[in-house]
Amino acid sequence: MSTDEPSHSTEEHGHDHHEVAGPGYPTPAAMRTESEREKTAFVMAPRVGMDVDAPDFVGVVDVDPDSNTYSELIDTIEMPNKGDELHHFGWNACSSSCHAEGLARDHLIVPGQRSSRIHILDATDPRDPSIEKVIEPEEVFEHDLSAPHTVHCVPGGKVVISMLGDANGDLPGGFLQLDQDDFSIDGHWEANRGEMKMNYDYWYQPRHNVMISTEWAAPRTYYPGFDLDDVEAGKYGDSIHIWDWETKEHQQTLTFGEEGLIPLEIRMPHNPEETQGYVGAALSSNILRFWEGRDGVWEWETVIDVEDREHPDWDMPVPGLVTDIVLSLDDQYLFFSNWLHGDMRMYDVSDFGNPRLVDRIWAGGNFGDRQEVQGTEIRGAPQMLQLSRDGKRVYWTTSLFSSWDNQFYPDIGSEGSVMLKADVYPDEGRMELDEDFLVDFGDAPGGPARAHEIRWPGGDCTSDVWQ
Amino acid sequence: MPHEVTLQWRDGREATIDVADGETIIDATERAGLGVPFGCLYGACGTCTGRLLSGDLVHIERARGLKPRHRRDGYVLLCVAEPRSDCRIEVGAEIQADLVPNPWQ
Repeated sequence: MSTDEPSHSTEEHGHDHHEVAGPGYPTPAAMRTESEREKTAFVMAPRVGMDVDAPDFVGVVDVDPDSNTYSELIDTIEMPNKGDELHHFGWNACSSSCHAEGLARDHLIVPGQRSSRIHILDATDPRDPSIEKVIEPEEVFEHDLSAPHTVHCVPGGKVVISMLGDANGDLPGGFLQLDQDDFSIDGHWEANRGEMKMNYDYWYQPRHNVMISTEWAAPRTYYPGFDLDDVEAGKYGDSIHIWDWETKEHQQTLTFGEEGLIPLEIRMPHNPEETQGYVGAALSSNILRFWEGRDGVWEWETVIDVEDREHPDWDMPVPGLVTDIVLSLDDQYLFFSNWLHGDMRMYDVSDFGNPRLVDRIWAGGNFGDRQEVQGTEIRGAPQMLQLSRDGKRVYWTTSLFSSWDNQFYPDIGSEGSVMLKADVYPDEGRMELDEDFLVDFGDAPGGPARAHEIRWPGGDCTSDVWQ
Repeated sequence: MPHEVTLQWRDGREATIDVADGETIIDATERAGLGVPFGCLYGACGTCTGRLLSGDLVHIERARGLKPRHRRDGYVLLCVAEPRSDCRIEVGAEIQADLVPNPWQ
């Protein structure tokens, strides 16, 4: 059975310890071993900030090697408006709602980072998604929120989206809650924001009643591009926030200072017993580990430090810029990208506090030897990552954010970005670039596009949480 | 009274449009199908940045996406800009990239 099917019955995925069918898998191992290889990828493809008079789209990429259209962009679902900046997206349901009867993983929630417009796509047929509903920006602004980012479905029939700004693109941000049935806005998720002002990504571990959120900056600060003066003025984040998942109240702030400037992507192990995780600090280019210590107080330490590099033609040492991280479903490997350097790394994290670098791939970027695949220039560098459920293939795109692309990889703004793939050999602790795989979003029908977050029908390593 | 606004791209292309009273420049470029980039439409994001070469325009909402140095250099946010005279404005996706250079380069 293909996991491209939108939902699974009890029988189909061996979910024999419960009576009801649901949209996910009973355990991370069930998802890893009982789902088939991904056949379709959904890829966010913004055109914002390009001289292309067309809207952003959700791209459908064929990743089935037995198909005639393997490694091709086979469909584009264009948004009804221009200027959204599609960025991150998520599902209406995942394994956190595994036991919810009648619920299927069949709708994608697709926010516009700049427009604050939220699109709901019916993805029941993964090869033919369609826009079902649009929440207009004015409805979002009514809740004094803007700049939607991370989407997670949460138990209890809700979808929660991290919001980075208020209605003016200033601080503070917050969390917007949607109803899973009709995708109407409930209002703010949080009951008490405490000292949290900035927002970005979040992860939750419901078994331990915890949610943890990260920080980028105010939309009006990061939207126009990256200015070091803003870092010096304290306008970028350096902290993460611990929340009580049940009461929705802010509990604790972990402040990293120089060691954790711009903590973006956060991942906790898929094992619901775990009370630790990693956050990638983009500007400091560190991976920080956090964990719950004695008496419920959370602590942190730096576990990976990517060294800055001297560039022969540049004035200052260049940070790696760790912009995305992903944990395998068995929690054994951590992958992350260094968007300014141009490498994507694989770490053995079987000892979570002592990650061990096992392999890396250079592709594009400012320091890599490999600047082409199949004769096509790699515009940009490894950025958004997505790992297959079985941990044997890692795919990535090369665009970060329209205005930041313009600063660091301006070719993306004129010619679009690309999607690449490597084969991973978890048993051997290594990976290899697959030179047969390349999707050039510069050739998208209707004009070039950037390519950003990737998801599979049936769930992936960054979508699913277990209760 | 409408104002005549001439847009010039860095590749040499030019277009002249009428911008009506109460209409932003992006409203008018969209009406004319010119494909000038935009994003948030409320002056925060800078995607629609243009550079005013001559004429007079006002921001009807605060141009939050621009810093004082950008304003001094003539950069304007076209999604919240209304002309108050005939204008000539440099437009296109490249203009936004002027705002912040690569800090390490």
